[in-house]
Amino acid sequence: MKKYFKILIIIIVFILCFIFLNKLVSPKYQTNLIEGHMIKEYYKEEKNHEVIFIGDCEVYANFSPLIMYKNYGITSYVRGTSQQLIWQSYGILKETLKYEIPKVVVLNVNALRYNEPVSEAYNHLTLDKMKWSQEKIEMINNSMLEEESIFDYIFPIVRYHSRFSSLTSEDFKNLFTDNNVTYNGYLMNKNIKPVTNLPTKKILGSYTFKDNVISYLDKIRQLCENNHIKLVLIKAPSVYPYWYSEYNDQVIEYANTYNLDYYNLLEKAQEIGIDYNHDTYDGGLHLNLYGAEKLSTYFGDILKNNYNLTDYRLDNHISNIYNQKLSVYNKNKGDE
Amino acid sequence: MKKLIILLLIGILITGCSEVKKEENKVYSFTYNDKNFILGEEFSTSKYGKEVRYAEVPSCAGQGVDKTYTYDHYEITTTPDGDKDKIYTIYLTDDSVKTTEGIKIGDSLENLTKTYGNDYEKRDNAYTYTLDNTHLEFIVVGDTISSIEYYIDIE
Repeated sequence: MKKYFKILIIIIVFILCFIFLNKLVSPKYQTNLIEGHMIKEYYKEEKNHEVIFIGDCEVYANFSPLIMYKNYGITSYVRGTSQQLIWQSYGILKETLKYEIPKVVVLNVNALRYNEPVSEAYNHLTLDKMKWSQEKIEMINNSMLEEESIFDYIFPIVRYHSRFSSLTSEDFKNLFTDNNVTYNGYLMNKNIKPVTNLPTKKILGSYTFKDNVISYLDKIRQLCENNHIKLVLIKAPSVYPYWYSEYNDQVIEYANTYNLDYYNLLEKAQEIGIDYNHDTYDGGLHLNLYGAEKLSTYFGDILKNNYNLTDYRLDNHISNIYNQKLSVYNKNKGDE
Repeated sequence: MKKLIILLLIGILITGCSEVKKEENKVYSFTYNDKNFILGEEFSTSKYGKEVRYAEVPSCAGQGVDKTYTYDHYEITTTPDGDKDKIYTIYLTDDSVKTTEGIKIGDSLENLTKTYGNDYEKRDNAYTYTLDNTHLEFIVVGDTISSIEYYIDIE
């Protein structure tokens, strides 16, 4: 009996050490590659959002939910991740609906151009900190590149063992705790880098969205329909990578076929008031804080006027939460 | 016996030469005005000349900055590899330049396959030839080449 107890203790200690080492080598995404932390922050939120944004960096860099709350009382959250592919958007939406049913889902259509997984690094930024679920497993299986293995995701030590030699104080400090890097999924950036030169607009072998991509767009649409959610398609006003007119035409056709609203905000940049000499932090790929606030005010107005949303500024409980968030937001913005 | 040795030496020489040629053709490269652009090699304007236009394309999550150097007839894109920028793509922008094997924008599909053969991968309008980890892609619209691009797989 004593012998079995000893073995049991050894096994437990081994498992605990293994869990600890996996946790230790996992990137913490607190000061470096902070985009990897965004997916996790949603879980801590009170789930009361009437609008959920899904998509790639064109949502998390360009839409500020707190500005939409401040100006219109809209409660929203951006569930965007770096280079979020359409099957990942589907998985994230499915997961979101386990927690809450929003009135509106806003999907950025930029990712429709990608039919295949693009980058192992981006896969990890989207998936590492996502809670384990059927959706996560499906997303991993659909996203892995040839050289990847699911064990890279299950046991971080497999993927990140080389980090043992480059652990930083962050890895110990944030072993069991972490801080938010976003404001309801919006990643603030105050830098200014004007649009100057862009690469040549290349001729493509095909401009047609592939069947696999459209099948996931269909799944997102059906998921929204089944839950009585209004699906709204948008193209954020990022000037690069080029949004070809052929892409745009297909989205318009899709939206017309299924009676969806589609807003190409790139075409509305002037009306929104975006100044590409001032309102972008990286030469036009993403808007900075100033551009994001203009866009959020413009799009918030569209949401407010068309989708029967509640003004939560009149709700004591919600307004307390959002006012606290706004206070931190304004402080970091430099307004206070 | 003497003849046999001479034949043997010629044989070795021919085999050696073809091996060297094969070695040279392992990856695609583009030559213009005596400048040889090799995919995957380090890029510097001191070596390849001052560009007409320069653009930077940062990734959306700190995965590095791709840089494009546009010249009169072609555009080079580099991608970071450690502290170096390596040639990632070479895009020919008009019909005044040819590939190393002599194909230019505006040439026919027939001319393309006559020059490069039929060992290509076709995806929609793109015909892609592969040597090791480098690729030469032709976009063919109708029967005419409308775009030519060299690129390398990145890790």
